[in-house]
Amino acid sequence: MIAVGTRAPDFTLPDHLGRKVSLGSFTGKRNVMLLFYPLDWTPT
Amino acid sequence: MEALLPRFRAAHTQVLGVSVDSIYSHANWGRSLEGISFPLLADFHPKGGVASACGLYLADNGITDRATLIIDKDGVVRYAVSVTPGGKRDIAELASECEKVDREFGKGLAAFPEAGGMPAGSTLYVKSKCGFSRAALLARDNLHLAGKLPVKNVTDDPAAREALVKAAGKEQAPCLVHGTTAIHETPEIIRFMVTSATDLAG
Repeated sequence: MIAVGTRAPDFTLPDHLGRKVSLGSFTGKRNVMLLFYPLDWTPT
Repeated sequence: MEALLPRFRAAHTQVLGVSVDSIYSHANWGRSLEGISFPLLADFHPKGGVASACGLYLADNGITDRATLIIDKDGVVRYAVSVTPGGKRDIAELASECEKVDREFGKGLAAFPEAGGMPAGSTLYVKSKCGFSRAALLARDNLHLAGKLPVKNVTDDPAAREALVKAAGKEQAPCLVHGTTAIHETPEIIRFMVTSATDLAG
């Protein structure tokens, strides 16, 4: 797993409504919490 | 998760769900949950690309680990914990972690530079019931020079009057004395204060 203190790799992914979301777009504005989960239909 | 979203919002934290499902699966699942108020990202093509970059892709099963990353405003990972695919996250604890990260924002910022001062030994001589003196005093306050530029009132203080005559050659006030220079014109006094106060070179 990525180590605490390192820079997160930037990415752009489509969301469930088809909008593009970039990690970099939050830089300097907001913290981001990424919830990785195995599959849809499982609890997040 | 939905119930605690206001806490994440208050901690300036954007919540994003990530799995290897397609946007179509996400959309269906979101609908079945009667709407979902944070984005579910499709790490679908290449499958698990972002998860792999974060060391969270379980290639044998073709799924993502159930793990949480908190990334601060500077893009640095501040929290990285896996609860295993079958485990359960403690959302309240995650909210506390986000609040902790948020509280630290600003600690790394450089301290404000100290405002410029006045040349050592500067003194502002003023007199009572004088509009020009008042203007000079207001400028001194507005430029945050109160602690840096001593004031002497020649109307109330004979010793000050004597010092002013000695430094400037006459009793006229307001007068800003620094070193061997005496400035009498109020606009020039204020201009000198502005120049001194806004010099951030030091």
